[in-house]
Amino acid sequence: MRRRRRGLATALPMIGVIAATMALAEPALAHEGEEDIPAFTSVQEAIAILAAHPGGIPEATDKVHDALDARDQQGVNVSLVQSASAALEQGQSEQAEILLERSIGVCPGQPLVSPASIPRSPLPLDSPCPASPHLTALSSEPIGGVAEPVLLAAAAVMILSGLALARRIR
Amino acid sequence: MSAVEVGRHQPTAQLTRRRRLLDALDERLGLKGLQYPIPEHANKLAYSLGGLTLITFVLMVATGVYLTQFYNPEPTVAHASVRRIITSVSFGTFVRGFHYWGAMAMIVLIGLHLLRVFVSGSFKRPREANWIVGVVLAGITATLFFTGTVLKWDQESLEALEHNIEIGKLLGRFGFWLSPSFGGIPFLTRVYVVHVAVLPFLFTLVVAVHLLLVKRHGMAPSPFRKGPEPEPTRPFTKHLAELGALALVLIGVLAILAVLAPPPHGHVPIEGIEVTKPPWPMLWVYPIEDWVGVAGILWATVAIFLALFIVPFVDRGPERSPRKRLPVMIVAGLVVATVVALIVYAAVQPVASHIGMG
Repeated sequence: MRRRRRGLATALPMIGVIAATMALAEPALAHEGEEDIPAFTSVQEAIAILAAHPGGIPEATDKVHDALDARDQQGVNVSLVQSASAALEQGQSEQAEILLERSIGVCPGQPLVSPASIPRSPLPLDSPCPASPHLTALSSEPIGGVAEPVLLAAAAVMILSGLALARRIR
Repeated sequence: MSAVEVGRHQPTAQLTRRRRLLDALDERLGLKGLQYPIPEHANKLAYSLGGLTLITFVLMVATGVYLTQFYNPEPTVAHASVRRIITSVSFGTFVRGFHYWGAMAMIVLIGLHLLRVFVSGSFKRPREANWIVGVVLAGITATLFFTGTVLKWDQESLEALEHNIEIGKLLGRFGFWLSPSFGGIPFLTRVYVVHVAVLPFLFTLVVAVHLLLVKRHGMAPSPFRKGPEPEPTRPFTKHLAELGALALVLIGVLAILAVLAPPPHGHVPIEGIEVTKPPWPMLWVYPIEDWVGVAGILWATVAIFLALFIVPFVDRGPERSPRKRLPVMIVAGLVVATVVALIVYAAVQPVASHIGMG
């Protein structure tokens, strides 16, 4: 009898602690208060989930919803996050990842950094993000047209007259 | 008066008119003061390299002023503004190409000028101070080149700037200017201000001192001249005229390069990756960076400029002939050969990531 009472006395506080923990943990389980997390952070987390586990669509979807519900959506292109959400619903994790990365101004495969520190012009959405071969490729435009032979002829005249003058001065 | 007489008299009349005009200008501007004698060897091409460097600088300012009318140093639009210069601005590709090749020419010309002064011993007493002023000018020119490569704002530019930021960190408190958090405007915009205002102003100021010292000490005697008789002289105005003729050739060559080999422009830059190599004048530090990290850029650059600064204090003897200064010439030859070898090695080695190596 005494042993049963002692068992109850030990169990009751434990049950109380567990109940209190569950009560305190409840808001987190119900995703309450997550609108305080900046959308930028939630998008970063969603990208990290998709990058590490391409099958983690439900977890990534949660984070995307958090981003859409966030009070602070600074530095995030919300319409792109909405498109990412739709892509996730259709199971297109790769497309969703690209859209999420674009929404905070980075490109697939690049390290995530604060968009405020990214010194570049926005990328057109219909073109793929540049990969290493794009970045090292250099382009130059020929002058073309009538200007090209005219400029070349003028340059040749300058060189010849310069050489003639130099010879004459000596 | 017959036609023959008219023809005979006209040149004399023209000459008189020209002389009167020159006299009038001289009275007001003191132009004849430029006719001071200089030794004959000063009219050789090797002795015109400094003057040609200065002419290239003037050409850079002129083309730079044109480019500044269309370039936007705001990081979000800088790349697009360069593309606009290339694709939409009248003569944009040509002027940008001329500026690009002019910058290359300026680096080559100032390098050859330094080499000529070194080989001919022209830095020796009493011209030591002017050698140091010349090395400062070379440093300003190199910085002008570097800041110029950053402004085009492609991947190569961003990576160059990221390396600069890393070097700023290595310098601790002294590297505050190289920190992207310094100042109230973007780092790229600050680099632009330095490129278009601060460095050209400094170059003009220091080159004025350089020219004043050349005038003060006169041209150094040629180390290759034999015999006791004094070297014939020519008026300085003749040297100026020849420089003008060489400038015409230089402009023509730069124009041809600008038309036939327009400078390339890379993609919109992406932060945090290293996929490019620096342009060839800065390529010599690339293998050093490979071996010892970003700090290698700093120490190699400091070492080269320190070596240049101490030249007049190490090679102090009165002898100017390179044949009689063999040890110094061998050391200098080894340094030049090493730099060239490093450039070639860097050109063939694969691209590597350095930031974070320390």
